[in-house]
Amino acid sequence: MAYEQADQSVKSLNWIIMLYVVLFFTFFSLFLYVFLGGADFGAGIVELFSSRDNRKLNRDTIYKVMGPVWEANHIWLIILIVILWIAFPAYFNIIIIYLHIPLTLVLLGITMRGVAFIFRHYDALVGESQIWYNRMFRISSLITPVFLGMSFGALLSGEIVLTEDYSEVSFADIFLHPWLNVFSFLTGLFYAALCGFLASTLLIGETEGEVRRLYSKKSAIYTIVLVILGGVVLFYGFLTEMVFVKDFLANFYSLSAVSLSAILLIPLWKAIKEEHSLLTRFYAAVQILLVLFAAVHTHFPNLIITQTGEVSMLEGIAPDSVIEVLGISLIVGGGIILPGLFHLMKSFNMIRIPTPTPKNEQN
Amino acid sequence: MENLDYARLQMAFTLGFHIIFACIGMVMPFFMVVSHKKWLNTRKPVFLKLTKAWQKGVAIFFVTGAVSGTALSFELGMLWPEFMKHAGPVIGMPFSLEGAAFFVEAIALGFYLYGWNKLPEKFHWLTGIIVGISGVASGILVVSANAWMNSPAGFDVVNGEFVNIDPVAAFLNDAWFTQALHMTLAAFAATGFAVAGIHAFQILRNKKPELHKEAFKIAIFFGAVAALLQPLSGDLSAKDVAERQPVKLAAMEAHYETGKAAPLYVGGIVDEENREVNYKLAIPKALSFLAFGDFDAEVKGLNDFPDDELPPVAVVHYAFQTMVGIGTLMMIAGLVYFISLRKRSWLDNRKYWWLFALMSPLGFIAVEAGWVVTEVGRQPWIVYNIMKTSEAVTPMPGLKYSFYLYVTVYLALALTVAWLMNRQIKVLNRSIG
Repeated sequence: MAYEQADQSVKSLNWIIMLYVVLFFTFFSLFLYVFLGGADFGAGIVELFSSRDNRKLNRDTIYKVMGPVWEANHIWLIILIVILWIAFPAYFNIIIIYLHIPLTLVLLGITMRGVAFIFRHYDALVGESQIWYNRMFRISSLITPVFLGMSFGALLSGEIVLTEDYSEVSFADIFLHPWLNVFSFLTGLFYAALCGFLASTLLIGETEGEVRRLYSKKSAIYTIVLVILGGVVLFYGFLTEMVFVKDFLANFYSLSAVSLSAILLIPLWKAIKEEHSLLTRFYAAVQILLVLFAAVHTHFPNLIITQTGEVSMLEGIAPDSVIEVLGISLIVGGGIILPGLFHLMKSFNMIRIPTPTPKNEQN
Repeated sequence: MENLDYARLQMAFTLGFHIIFACIGMVMPFFMVVSHKKWLNTRKPVFLKLTKAWQKGVAIFFVTGAVSGTALSFELGMLWPEFMKHAGPVIGMPFSLEGAAFFVEAIALGFYLYGWNKLPEKFHWLTGIIVGISGVASGILVVSANAWMNSPAGFDVVNGEFVNIDPVAAFLNDAWFTQALHMTLAAFAATGFAVAGIHAFQILRNKKPELHKEAFKIAIFFGAVAALLQPLSGDLSAKDVAERQPVKLAAMEAHYETGKAAPLYVGGIVDEENREVNYKLAIPKALSFLAFGDFDAEVKGLNDFPDDELPPVAVVHYAFQTMVGIGTLMMIAGLVYFISLRKRSWLDNRKYWWLFALMSPLGFIAVEAGWVVTEVGRQPWIVYNIMKTSEAVTPMPGLKYSFYLYVTVYLALALTVAWLMNRQIKVLNRSIG
């Protein structure tokens, strides 16, 4: 017995490596979903807040730019969910039980959006129904990231009540308050603004002349909104003495990451001003990476904060054999998918070598 | 109804939709690449038009399938959190591989849809092939995860915890091959007949018959071959179920009394109260033979199982009968198609086209019925003999509302997709050439 226990506590090097592989892919998928999926949501948000004349232009540009990778962007969410349930079942169990309602709303948004996107681009007859597809697309593009952000905010809000006896605590306390609060809502708005920022920044490189200036302006506006909202989130958390925000403000690495992202706004703005498409995209990606790093690093691995304590994502981690097989699957799968995806983006000019941009046909 | 019932209904409802989208999404690409190949070989414009029309269908079904699949990946956890907590790591391997296959499909589809006149012709065509292959691969992998629920393997249960997990053994469980084979053939048969039927109907209406005849030929070939192979795979499945899940087999056949040389019931009304089947046609010894390949073999009846381990017998029995009945019809229709290759005169007979037009929805009814057999037939277990469905359900009350929400959204979705398809056909018929 004693021997067996000792055997379980001493993990092999192989296992440790595979755990890191699994963790890497977990956060890599999260990052790519926030970045690519976010740019996608943002496209609808930018369209929603555009003047009537610009909407059609926006729609066509988005289709040209996003069309080929549109589906791939959203599969990162599935990959993330699947990794979570395989490798971190106990952690995933809490998320999926206590955030049932906001996640249902996210799904509703994703469904509406996906369907509206395909309908407005694949309907054989172009007629009045387009108006409805467009409305549905824009509105769900705004709602989905707000609920996604609210769900993420809920995990860190410190409002979750874990219980074994569900009759003891009211429905609202368990299933509503954790995500239906000011902090979570602000986080949701923050993510929506981030999406708008990503989309407008991405579109700068896809357009020319007058239109390009339009997206540059939009990108600048979304950046300002983003910085203000980020400040409000932190300030609100500071005022209400939230555990996460207190720890965030005391964490050297998180603060450095946020400061660095603030400093990097200067070259980003310069790149926007110079309408340098590749650099703006690069800086935009770095911004997301830094913000995510700051948010996750503060509390890793305790990525659920409840009213009474914290839950580590490594608690109740899957057995060694599962982690090892998953790690190998992810390396093999990633080895096939990532080059394919890169090639896809390159073929359709989403990743461009900085040469003078050829004239894009406007359809 | 209780929370558990609503959870089950919601799962059944969403899966019922997803299975249609997924089947079409995984089979249509094959029709598309065959038509595409014919265009490359013959340069007849009719094939280019057909390819492009089918490509739109593929895109629409791929996205609806992907979206409903995303919803399902969440729903598994949202409705059955305890199942996912324990089973998630065990069946993670097919799911993670499925994720990868699905991703490959999405990338290939991106190349295919947007690659016209941009990619080298052969490479472009090849990306279509990859769409098809990776689609079938994801289907097989997902079914393997479902097979594990019927035939759990690759772990031990100690104090309610799943330990000694072997993901590879779980993936390659006893049921995975028969189930995957049966489902894949079903997808090809159902989609083949559905698409062929739609085109047969257009031929009857005399709208662009030359185009619709080419379309019919491609779709029915896949459908007919699959429909002819399906009975063999069904036999494998039945023998497998007889051995692994005798109670499911007994429910499928509404077989109450254990006995040797058991008869096979065709039709009949199940009286669950009195445990008997009325108004049936009984074929002597046939059940023993079909289940064990021996006319005198003993087949265990429902009465020999504890009451709290019995699935709803009537539903399973009717669904099974529906599936087998339709399967037989489709096999005959498949034969009719192959005979018509010799007897060309049949093609001028409107009855021939009516036959296929009327068969159009049947394959999918059979697919749904088969799904009911495997899922309802496993009740009350979510993991056969290991975990009950009632132990897996979410503690969150009020699933009623969630159920109604999903019903509304999915019905709207289905209606809109049907309406869109109708518009595709209209445009196809209207265009010149």
